[in-house]
Amino acid sequence: MGSIRLNGITKSYGSVDVLKGIDLDIAEGELAVFVGPSGCGKSTLLRMIAGLDRPTSGRILIDGKDVTHVGAADRGLAMVFQSYALYPHMTVRANMAFGLENTRMPRAEIDTRIAEAARMLEIEPLLARRPGQLSGGQRQRVAIGRAIVRRPTAFLLDEPLSNLDAELRVSMRAELSALHGRLGATMIHVTHDQVEAMTMADRIVVLRAGKVEQVDRPLALYNRPANRFVAGFIGAPSMNLWPATARQGAVVLEAGPSLSLPGVPDGPLTLGLRPQHMRLDPEGPLTLKIEMVEALGAESVVHGVMPEGTRILAVLPGQPGLARGETIRLGFDATQLHLFDAGGQRMEPPNADRTPAFQAGA
Amino acid sequence: MQMAGAAVVAPLVWAAQALDPVLRLWQRWTGLRGMAGFFLVPNMAIFGIFVLIPLVMNIAYSMTTGGALFLNARDYVGAAQYQRLLDCGNYLDIRTCKEDQFWTAVRNTGLFVTIQVTLLIVIATVTALILNRELRARSFWRAMFFFPVLLSPVVVGLIWRWILDRNGILNAALLGVGMDPVNWLLDRNLAFAAAIGVTIWAHLGFYALILLAGLQAIPRDLYEAAEMDGTRPARVFFRITLPLLMPNLLVVVVLALIRAVQVFDEAYVLTGGGPGTATLFMTQYIYEVGFASLLKNPGLAAAASILMGGVLVVLTLIQLGLGKRNEKRGKLK
Amino acid sequence: MTGAIAFVTRRRGGARWDWTDVVTFLWLGAGLVVVFGPALWLVLSSFKTPAGLAEFPPTILPYEARTAEVQGYDRPLPLYSVTDERGSRTLAEVRRVGTVAQMVDPENPGEIERVNIATRSPERQVALSWSNYLDPFLRFDFMTYARNSVFVTVVATLITLLTNSMAAFALSKYQFRGRNAVLVVIVATLMIPLSVILVPLYSIISAAGLANSLWGVILPTVATPTGVFLLRQYMLTIPDELLEAARMDHASEWQIYWRIVLPLTAPALAVLAIFSVVWRWNDFLWPLIVLTRAEVYTLQVGLNAYAGELNVQWHYLLAMTVITMIPVVLVFVFLQRFITAGIAGTGLK
Repeated sequence: MGSIRLNGITKSYGSVDVLKGIDLDIAEGELAVFVGPSGCGKSTLLRMIAGLDRPTSGRILIDGKDVTHVGAADRGLAMVFQSYALYPHMTVRANMAFGLENTRMPRAEIDTRIAEAARMLEIEPLLARRPGQLSGGQRQRVAIGRAIVRRPTAFLLDEPLSNLDAELRVSMRAELSALHGRLGATMIHVTHDQVEAMTMADRIVVLRAGKVEQVDRPLALYNRPANRFVAGFIGAPSMNLWPATARQGAVVLEAGPSLSLPGVPDGPLTLGLRPQHMRLDPEGPLTLKIEMVEALGAESVVHGVMPEGTRILAVLPGQPGLARGETIRLGFDATQLHLFDAGGQRMEPPNADRTPAFQAGA
Repeated sequence: MQMAGAAVVAPLVWAAQALDPVLRLWQRWTGLRGMAGFFLVPNMAIFGIFVLIPLVMNIAYSMTTGGALFLNARDYVGAAQYQRLLDCGNYLDIRTCKEDQFWTAVRNTGLFVTIQVTLLIVIATVTALILNRELRARSFWRAMFFFPVLLSPVVVGLIWRWILDRNGILNAALLGVGMDPVNWLLDRNLAFAAAIGVTIWAHLGFYALILLAGLQAIPRDLYEAAEMDGTRPARVFFRITLPLLMPNLLVVVVLALIRAVQVFDEAYVLTGGGPGTATLFMTQYIYEVGFASLLKNPGLAAAASILMGGVLVVLTLIQLGLGKRNEKRGKLK
Repeated sequence: MTGAIAFVTRRRGGARWDWTDVVTFLWLGAGLVVVFGPALWLVLSSFKTPAGLAEFPPTILPYEARTAEVQGYDRPLPLYSVTDERGSRTLAEVRRVGTVAQMVDPENPGEIERVNIATRSPERQVALSWSNYLDPFLRFDFMTYARNSVFVTVVATLITLLTNSMAAFALSKYQFRGRNAVLVVIVATLMIPLSVILVPLYSIISAAGLANSLWGVILPTVATPTGVFLLRQYMLTIPDELLEAARMDHASEWQIYWRIVLPLTAPALAVLAIFSVVWRWNDFLWPLIVLTRAEVYTLQVGLNAYAGELNVQWHYLLAMTVITMIPVVLVFVFLQRFITAGIAGTGLK
């Protein structure tokens, strides 16, 4: 119970294509997170799964059954909205009972389910209150409770944490994960926050401009981003992406240092390196002048600029005692490098155990 | 009050619940779009039958003649009714017009609109300015001016008829201060003035309230800034209050014009159009010609009402234009 | 009086009396007299006897002649205070011949005195003439008029609320072809008064057999564009997510309307209800045209008919005017806040 399959889903509003052919499989019991910048179509996709919007073309299957033309109420799904969409004129109990009453469920059964969900979410003292009398976190729980009592095939969560303050968001994140573990139900969670995606997801679906960029487990996504967009989007701070050119087995940063990488076909490409993968190294190939240091205690974020003007961001462990205006050199392990071709797609380095051979200057 | 509310609501809730299964089937059959139609139809059907169709039929009526009520029994005469209304030997002299009553009503209404709206707006503005001061019990004063707005025009007419009676309290007061009693409603000019005064009395609170809302929307810090600059109060009024109130003021003026053109109820109960035809206004003319006189002439009444409607349409368009402009200004802020 | 002066405080504070403070004080004082005076005068007058009403100059309070039961006379006799060479005393009048009245002392009914009428004045006491209020109910059709008015007001308001809110719901929460056209029509007719379409409207009402029927008064007034407009503006502020949540909750569209949207529109519905009550209660021109038989008159038409009689019975007319005014005064006292807020917010009238 609870597998969802999307087959060539497209959606256009007039001449604007919001979704450009989405194929996706979500396994039963999986917590899938749709992540992407705003306007990428992730919420539209979720609403289509929910049945609140109709796709322009393509099919939606739930447990193998085609539900493309089935109404929202009859898909057996429950949704938690970004604004929670609690009925403001009803008590918490009535909010949770409303959907069940509509299916003509016996009163006793409704009461048991509400009691159970309220216990699970620790909102029993709130049942007689109205949404207006609740804090943000409490409303969030009630919204989840309203979904739980329905015993849906799958839960759809549309940016459910975005209206909470930072601290509450972290704790609700953990709670949602725990809840998923306990219920074992399929969940689709939409967010624009990649940290949320990384910490919660079984699998992350990265969307951009109506297309799926990559679907994979969080760490796989981090370690082997399929393209330049995913590389930049996943991980904080973002990966350094430097335009470069490959020429006869060497990769040359634009007017910068070059790196010997035999077997890379000639042509323009992008070199990627995560800020965390750099270290202070007097012999290192990267020279930069420090523009700003964010000392966070456990680590320091260094913003710098290379002599040629390329910006560079490095996260150095501890408190290295650097100051603005200093010039330093950084080194790195070449196995941590990511290469993307002119089209932005990932290039596997020709041989994994290549030797780092950077030289300063061109 | 709440008990009564519950008594009204309970059967409605029951009816709404009972309807649900039927409407669910309907929804299954027609989809969401069909439901939109379902919600729209009752209101639009009533609206169509009792407003839109009459609007169109009115044009047909204005081109027919005779005393028959239903269109199919009436004779087509083209623009004859309009010709009759507008036919004058000398347009400067009402007595030379074929329909001198119509022209009397037009003249009276024009005069009424000009004087009444001017006075009404001035008085309402002053009242709003005063209510906008830091008064103790401001909500009481605001409510006080609003009180007559709710009274029915018939009640308003009767109250003032009683006060302006020859043996009424106003004449007693005149006598008390050594002046001669006056026959308020039997003198042409005084009756006209009474109609103006009474309608202002009845509607002042409404316009004062809208203007007050406009005044309160003016940011307080503008006044404080002016005070810091040592601006004199008169200058504050003409350079800050008035310009910022202007959008509201224009809307209020047009609204007052629209209502003044249709003046009927209060004046009719107060004076009955008299003495003679001194307070005969357009709406009363239409009513008399179409319904009340012995020789009913619905075609003529329809033609006159279309002429009046034309004036109202122009005023409404102005108002919509003003509203849109204010909206745009609001957005720019 | 000092209390009244203190009532009017000044924007600029301080002890200095600005000329604007004087104007404010005078304006509000005059307003108090001009606004409430006439209504108060109406109420006071409505309790006067026909004789009291005929007096000029009028007395402020309603009086009636004092009478006394005197032994040996069937009817109560009017009392007069007499002042002449024999001193001041109270006597009851038996009959009057020319300038001489035959009077008796109520304490000593056997002896009849002759008194010049110049030396006596009637004794009066403040008294409310309740029969002004009772008679119209008992002897005239006033009860029928009141019932008709209540019927028109209640039914028209209920239908207005139902149809207007349904239309507003469709126009605010659904996308469909022609929606903008409907909106344009509604906005364009916001200001078209009934008085412009009297003739064709009356023919439609007659054709439907509704002339001289209260339904003929009700139906043309219920589909108010104003109401649809007001409610739609309010419903636009209800988030669509609520409706979607309800749809996910298996609610039918009808249920969404009456269980979600209607309760959330309650403040706007209350404003429209109050306005509708006042409008329908006060309607005059249209009922005057549709209703030509006395048994279907509403209060307003009935009052006008009484006032138009050759011999106006003011004592009844004033009392009936007061009764007609009462519901509106109640609305004013209890719901004034809603109304002023409604007008300030929407410019509705």
